Amino acid sequence: MEELVTSGDSLTRVSRRGCDRVDGYAPLRDYALIGDGRTVALVALDGSIDWLCLPDLDSPAAFGELLDARSGGQFAVRPVSEFEVERRYLPGTNVLETTFHTRTGVVRVVDAMTIPGADLSPQREVVRIVEAVSGSIPMQWHLEPRINFGSGRTHFGLRAGVPVATHGATALALCSWGAGQPEVKADSIGGHFEATVGGRAILALSVAHQEPLVLPCRGDVESRLLTTEAMWLRWSEGLGGGTRWRDAVVRSSLALKLLVYAPSGAIAAAATTSLPEVVGGERNWDYRFCWVRDAAFMLGALLRLGCVAEADAFFWWLMQASQRTHPRLQVLYRLDGGTEAGERTLPLAGYRRSSPVRVGNGAAKQIQLDVYGDLFQAAWLYAEAGRPIDPDIGHRLAEMADLVCDIWTEPDAGLWEVRSNPQHFTQSKMMCFVALDRALKLARAGRIPSRHAPAWQVQAGAIRDFVEENCWSDSKRSYVRYAGTGELDASLLLGVLFRYSSPDDQRLRGTVEAVRRELSHGPFVYRYSGEDGLSGEEGAFLTCSFWLVEALAVQGRRDEAQELMARLVGLANDVGLFAEEVDPATGAFLGNLPQGLTHLALIHAALAFPESDVQ
Amino acid sequence: MTIWRALAGGFVGTMVLTTVLRAGSEARLTRMDLPFLLGTAVTSDRRRAKVIGYLAHFGFGLAFALIYYGLFTAIGRSGWALGALFGLVHGVFSATALVDILLPMLHPRMGTPFTAAGSSPLLEPPGFLMRNYGRSTLLVTLAAHILYGTIVGGFVGAGH
Repeated sequence: MEELVTSGDSLTRVSRRGCDRVDGYAPLRDYALIGDGRTVALVALDGSIDWLCLPDLDSPAAFGELLDARSGGQFAVRPVSEFEVERRYLPGTNVLETTFHTRTGVVRVVDAMTIPGADLSPQREVVRIVEAVSGSIPMQWHLEPRINFGSGRTHFGLRAGVPVATHGATALALCSWGAGQPEVKADSIGGHFEATVGGRAILALSVAHQEPLVLPCRGDVESRLLTTEAMWLRWSEGLGGGTRWRDAVVRSSLALKLLVYAPSGAIAAAATTSLPEVVGGERNWDYRFCWVRDAAFMLGALLRLGCVAEADAFFWWLMQASQRTHPRLQVLYRLDGGTEAGERTLPLAGYRRSSPVRVGNGAAKQIQLDVYGDLFQAAWLYAEAGRPIDPDIGHRLAEMADLVCDIWTEPDAGLWEVRSNPQHFTQSKMMCFVALDRALKLARAGRIPSRHAPAWQVQAGAIRDFVEENCWSDSKRSYVRYAGTGELDASLLLGVLFRYSSPDDQRLRGTVEAVRRELSHGPFVYRYSGEDGLSGEEGAFLTCSFWLVEALAVQGRRDEAQELMARLVGLANDVGLFAEEVDPATGAFLGNLPQGLTHLALIHAALAFPESDVQ
Repeated sequence: MTIWRALAGGFVGTMVLTTVLRAGSEARLTRMDLPFLLGTAVTSDRRRAKVIGYLAHFGFGLAFALIYYGLFTAIGRSGWALGALFGLVHGVFSATALVDILLPMLHPRMGTPFTAAGSSPLLEPPGFLMRNYGRSTLLVTLAAHILYGTIVGGFVGAGH
């Protein structure tokens, strides 16, 4: 049972049901996200934290139930008896509130990762507060960490009476107040208590990595939670004004903020690794890296939402990371800007037996020419917003434009990182054109050296000629996936969004129509037709659906776009989050979550409508 | 044998000791972070604690070099081997009396058997032989202190 409730200025999705686990795995749709800008935790509808990497988002997991229901590790708080659940984020925050309805009463659990203040606080802290709303509810909690993906034995013990779990350089302490006497066992810590009206139980998980644990007192935990809630409210204030889809934009912005790795400003593509694009299949990838592909979307969204500090941090991270491979761009970089992303598999069962479970991402070493267009578009947006581009970065951008002139003729793996043979992907060529076009704009604006601008102009023309002659199908009335094929590709919608031509160009209009006709299934859009070098079929890629909304909107088909947008926003889970893909048949989430690119595409789609469309 | 050589040895030795402890931490052998422990004794601000802790750590490193110098002078002998022996004793003393007993007593944010429910956060105590910070902490600490002593002894003995 699911209904929408409008509360004040925020739309709250209310879902009242139990959690239907299959073989111990919760549906991906059941997960909500909390975090602190360094790492994130995924909280299932039934109150179990099934994913938490420590100390950072791209570190090994300490709770990995998501990828191995038998031995992955979890931190659960829930009623002992059967329950139904409703859930929401406290408006404008990343503080999660889960309300359990049982036969003996109603109990609320508030979950957050706290933001440290000036006082001595834990390196990372997960706070779970339990309060009865009515009646008396027997509660249970269970902490079963498997630090470092369970690669070695986690030791349990007590420090100053506080239960702790340690492994190598990482330690967890579970401080509790009013939550019963903790029982420390050989492989877990747990407890029981009765939640009654007026009482308040607190569970604070303190994390230390390469340092002694901080064991906080109750007052400090409660104070940090209040400070954290206030910080989120301040941050989200004013976001998404002037759009009909304000609530979705605010929630997407808050989700994206959790994917931003605060120490560097990079944004992870998603919070997880190896959640399958096909349940039981091999399309399982580690998304805890920052893709250059996301750069233009990220910069554009941040600047349009007024998040200038985050935009500055991200642009400077991007330029620092890319300096390590200059003038070539790597497809993705580590969150700390590093270039190594070696792919390996872990001995975990995988989400609903979807193996292998991978950490690292082999796509880092692929050649994807579109990333140059993404980076130049980001630089152009940044410059257009009046932000500074120093002479050294300007010089490097000019050298990259020179490189694009030399390499655009090469085949590549394309935006979708296919593992089949390289091709002359149309979208890659279009983005090479975008790269040189934006380089010319930057040069004309005096933001980068213009000495080689004539050569860029010539090569931009050559790219356009190649695309128009080799990548257009008269029979499909559309650009095609790669030169010489008849297959279609939803990434060609980016030709509209990145202004490869005028949005009104007949060929781009034909392409949007063809994507709608041949790759769409209701509100869902598949990425492409044809081979990609992997077995099995994937779900529909939600980002493409939002790209279609934006393309329709900028081509003036606003009624169609609004209708599609409404259907897409309704596909979010109960707390407004999106995964990478959706199974069109069942509506089940597939792939890693929450997917940053999906939320970025949502924001761009929402902001593509003129303010006059606000109702 | 001059006091300046001892101080120079103390400075280099502390750098090496700090590096070894840090390497042990990166190798996931220990969660021991001496600058953090020292700094949080005077401030609850993590950033300040780290800076103050590193300065204090180097100060202690120089002070211990002077103690070594006094012992060398009293014995009338010095050298890297004797320094290494002093380092071993120093390491054992640190792991038992200094960090396990004295530090918790003096550290305002670290729990001891005398601590009652307070309002300040408590730092995890090191425990016997500092095993709370990882089972290999003692080995890493001893290795770091032996290296420290070897360097101080070597610097002082180099004057002969």
